[in-house]
Amino acid sequence: MGMEQLLPAIAGMTWQDMVMIGVGLLLIYLAIAKNYEPTLLLPMGFGAILVNIPLSSALTQIDPATGNAVEGVLNVFFDAGIATEIFPLLIFIAIGAMIDFSPLFRNPSLLLFGAAAQFGIFLTMLLASLLGYDLREAASIGIIGAADGPTSIVVASRFAPGLLGPISVAAYSYMALVPIIQPPVVRLLTSKRERLIRMSNPSNKQISKKALIVFPIAVTIIAGIIAPSSLSLIGFLMFGNLVRECGVLNKLSLSAQNELASLVTLLLGITIASTMTAERFIRVDTLIIIALGLFAFVFDTFGGVIFAKFLNLFRKEGSKLNPMIGACGISAFPMSARVIHQMGQKEDPFNYLLMPAISANVGGQIGSVVAGGIILTLVPFFA
Amino acid sequence: MTPIFEKTLLIATIGMAGIFLFMAVFYLLIRALDKLMPFQEKKPAEKWSEETATEKEEEEP
Repeated sequence: MGMEQLLPAIAGMTWQDMVMIGVGLLLIYLAIAKNYEPTLLLPMGFGAILVNIPLSSALTQIDPATGNAVEGVLNVFFDAGIATEIFPLLIFIAIGAMIDFSPLFRNPSLLLFGAAAQFGIFLTMLLASLLGYDLREAASIGIIGAADGPTSIVVASRFAPGLLGPISVAAYSYMALVPIIQPPVVRLLTSKRERLIRMSNPSNKQISKKALIVFPIAVTIIAGIIAPSSLSLIGFLMFGNLVRECGVLNKLSLSAQNELASLVTLLLGITIASTMTAERFIRVDTLIIIALGLFAFVFDTFGGVIFAKFLNLFRKEGSKLNPMIGACGISAFPMSARVIHQMGQKEDPFNYLLMPAISANVGGQIGSVVAGGIILTLVPFFA
Repeated sequence: MTPIFEKTLLIATIGMAGIFLFMAVFYLLIRALDKLMPFQEKKPAEKWSEETATEKEEEEP
């Protein structure tokens, strides 16, 4: 009896499989040792190991004896949860239940940074199309710049399922790397004098419960009227928020924030890994996508900061915005706000930018979902 | 310029304008909600009943 019959997995192992197992181990290391988005990177890393061992029963395999396909559990999860968009949309309910919109009510003008900081998405789309990707692929790569994992997964699974693996890895890795990516870009774009600007802080203003309840309902109706294709994204986010704010579903709200978020994140991570097989992942495309993802994050930050500087041209001395706040218009919440607050404190220990930074960051959470919805609406018209 | 690049440029322009439009609408919505439904501090129930009781006592001859 030969090696092939005794240990078929070893006999069938290629160097590409070994590289992917290494990638899986690296993701697990980053999750555990560096605490980089561990809830996603750990299941993805483990899943990458699962699917790259030859003949893994976690993936659909052809039974050599009968010639029939034996379905693998990860393929079943993928078809049920990702192809149907159920997993990311359930995550949106959980995220919605976690978001508190009151900082936006205290400082609604900062909502606009949630728009400006989506600039990287569209610039990356343009670059991807120049690099030869078709419109659907370019849109899926650009959406990494939404800094919002579930939005990236929804768009990529609809437009470019073949690129879902690298897009998800890039989106979640860069979200974890916000404290490394944003500060140098912000420092490059702002002067010391600008970084020292203090902002007034209307943090004591109380917000009525009624307004917080009506807001998610009104946003859903408005978004649905303007762009019905965006409703699956915005609607689920706002539904989660309504469950949080209504005041009569506290148990459901807590379940959405904790158990639902944990369970679906676990399944989402390990299921995405089913796309991280060596033949799909070890390609020049993967490296290009990961580089384009970084480009998107850098230009999101650029868009937000430059927009703040632009607004300052029209504001009087004393009411100017600290342009660093613009960088918080991305969806990585609350990491981006915390990073910018810390940068402000480094320059001046008495400069408290946390509240406006949080407001802009909440704006970014809405902005990223709106961007995803707009892309889902526009691309089919032109593709 | 390739046709795909041209299409992407158009999507990028409409997309950025669309996001700003959405955010401007949400901004107006927040301002409107804040104006129509301002925060009102509730009087604590005990204090209210005490006050009512005092008023009633005063009214009695």
